[in-house]
Amino acid sequence: MPPLSNIIEAPLRLLGEYKVSCVIVGGVAATIHGSLLLTNDLDVCYARDPENLTRLAEALQSVHARLRNAPEGLPFILDAETLRRGLNFTFTTDIGDIDLLGEVRGVGNYDDVFAGSVAVEMFGYRFAVIDIGKLILSKRAAGRSKDLLALPELEAIQEAQGIDKQTES
Amino acid sequence: MRADIENYFLNPPLGSAAARATEFGIDLTLTLEHLRLTPEERIRKLDSFIEGVAKLRASVRFIGPTNATAQQHH
Repeated sequence: MPPLSNIIEAPLRLLGEYKVSCVIVGGVAATIHGSLLLTNDLDVCYARDPENLTRLAEALQSVHARLRNAPEGLPFILDAETLRRGLNFTFTTDIGDIDLLGEVRGVGNYDDVFAGSVAVEMFGYRFAVIDIGKLILSKRAAGRSKDLLALPELEAIQEAQGIDKQTES
Repeated sequence: MRADIENYFLNPPLGSAAARATEFGIDLTLTLEHLRLTPEERIRKLDSFIEGVAKLRASVRFIGPTNATAQQHH
């Protein structure tokens, strides 16, 4: 079990340190946009070019990532080739849970998610965060109760961001 | 935080997303407070909350119905 503190910050620092090309999505993206939605894992949509898969595999190996809820003894080699053969992975690591998404439902692949994303500086690294409009689309597409419950607040934040942009331009 | 944004959350215009969120039961004063933080502070606050909940869960010990335990004390 990972330590109780920094279970979101530590995985973010890891991805920053290994220069993994990814976009923060899901509940952590909602938090960064200002939502009070609670989450306890980090979801990222990652670039699937070979160099990035190698960096990602090295980052995950360094924190002993293993598949979450997989049967004990299930053979699993964590390397770039395994990441290339799969698409979405849910990992438990020594520092917190990390979910890797090759595609985000309702939005698309890394390029689609990256387009229009917001650059944010945190913990000494620069991260891409999914645009709030696309985050709302993804939550709507996921369609689970917990996703739909998040929509009213996210839509209010989106509208407030619109006011902000209107005044800027 | 700009006054017009604050006002949007504190006095949601009729028909706005903020008005719908309030109607839905969201306390937008808490959202506004969260928006005053930097993204890094928001993550730290989330981490601190997760830690707090985990500690609470670890410390909780269910004893039984309160009326039953009350009787034990007498």
